[in-house]
Amino acid sequence: MNEILKEHKQNFSKIFKLARIDLIKTYGGSVLGWLWAIIKPAITIFVYWFTIEIGLRSGKIRNGYPNFLWLIASTVPWFYFSEMIVGGASSIRSYNYLVTKMKFPVSTIPTIVNVSKFMIHIILEIIVIILFLINGYKIDIYFFQIIFYMLLSFMFFEMWSIFSSMIGAISKDFVNLVKSITVMVFWMSGIIWDINSISQPWIKKILWFNPIVYLVNGYRNCFINKVFFFEEPKQLIIFLTFLVILTVMAGISYKKLKKVIPDVL
Amino acid sequence: MSEVIRFKNVDKIYKLNKKPNFNNILKVIFNKKLKEEKKVLDNISFSINKGEKVAFLGKNGSGKSTILKLITEVLYPTSGEIYVNGKVNALLELKSGFELEFTGRENIYLKGILLGLSKKEIKELEDKIIEFADIGEYIDYPIQKYSSGMRARLGFSIAVNIEPEILVIDEALSVGDEEFKNKCLKKINDITENKNVTLVLVTHSFEMAKEFCNRGIVIQKGKIIYDGNIDSSIEVYKNSINKN
Repeated sequence: MNEILKEHKQNFSKIFKLARIDLIKTYGGSVLGWLWAIIKPAITIFVYWFTIEIGLRSGKIRNGYPNFLWLIASTVPWFYFSEMIVGGASSIRSYNYLVTKMKFPVSTIPTIVNVSKFMIHIILEIIVIILFLINGYKIDIYFFQIIFYMLLSFMFFEMWSIFSSMIGAISKDFVNLVKSITVMVFWMSGIIWDINSISQPWIKKILWFNPIVYLVNGYRNCFINKVFFFEEPKQLIIFLTFLVILTVMAGISYKKLKKVIPDVL
Repeated sequence: MSEVIRFKNVDKIYKLNKKPNFNNILKVIFNKKLKEEKKVLDNISFSINKGEKVAFLGKNGSGKSTILKLITEVLYPTSGEIYVNGKVNALLELKSGFELEFTGRENIYLKGILLGLSKKEIKELEDKIIEFADIGEYIDYPIQKYSSGMRARLGFSIAVNIEPEILVIDEALSVGDEEFKNKCLKKINDITENKNVTLVLVTHSFEMAKEFCNRGIVIQKGKIIYDGNIDSSIEVYKNSINKN
């Protein structure tokens, strides 16, 4: 863990420069370029909205908000999460030339990917806030919690990507496994449904042990539910416990696999 | 004379040589021994002083490239100690290590950032690199469109123009046309003669070894069998081939 911190400190500006390059790589090659960062989520949200409001006919209003705004509040964070679940796990693999062709601090590679995805996330969240304002909702104190939840998400996926990219670098099966599980995580984590609306208390209790549920619910607290993060202390503690466990796992996998990875990539 | 590279009892074992399966991966994670481990370097010790020009000789698969990768600190030794002091610049696999969708110019910037250079330093190098590579308007095309010769040209230009203290070359000059090859040889000559630069070279060309190096190390099956001046080490190497 110490070594990971040290590598990040020493290469601080390099990480940001390379994250910028990562963004250029992702969006630079096409004619529409940066617009894709918005078009893709917009289409996805439209599909969800269509399914729920037109297909399932579950009403126009949820928790006092139009379906479309309700969905945006929770699916926009999910775009960042899903990119990081898969992108984190395959980050070292996709940057293998940094590992095998030169001397490069391996632990910063997941961070580069994370920072790059997080930039897009920040932009999208700003758009979400603007959309809420356009629709006549005022900024209140709950909105500002978004910074807290964004930081938690960043930390969580930072640890996840360090841990998973190390395993993913030596095992392609792991990357494929993560890819397949992402769909399951989406439907199980209350992205397009609300955990608070579940009636069975024991199912609800189990679901709180899913850190993604906590994060998504957190974003929803800011925009829809209007709940402060300290009003759900138990859930926060469970989440933080997960974060600590993940951090330890990231440290262990880094320590064990750092020297093996250049041999196998 | 100060020491710039030192290997002390270095072993290198490759784990997961064949296709990895879950069992092997778990064993690597939990530090268990594997059945199919391959020892490519066996108790290697040597030291190279500043300004020395050393050639590694040996057959394919004898472990030469592994040694170079250890010097560039891409790989880690399984056991033993390695000490490297100085800015290492390696001409390994020149054609790879590019972002294919980026143009040549963008790749120069990327390389510069990776090597920790400032924007100003990169700017200064850019013209030098482009002039040396001499690939004309292609510099603003994506690398994908390059021929392998052009990729090698660009790779070589970037590597030699970023002034190294230790220059590591692995069979890098077998690409490109005759004209460019001569240009490269001349450039290497300039670098190694004018400055206090250490050169480590892997080659199968005795001519090149003789031209650039004054010391030779012969590797056979992961072991050093001879370490001495270049002429006699070429003799030793020739003999070892003939014996088999």
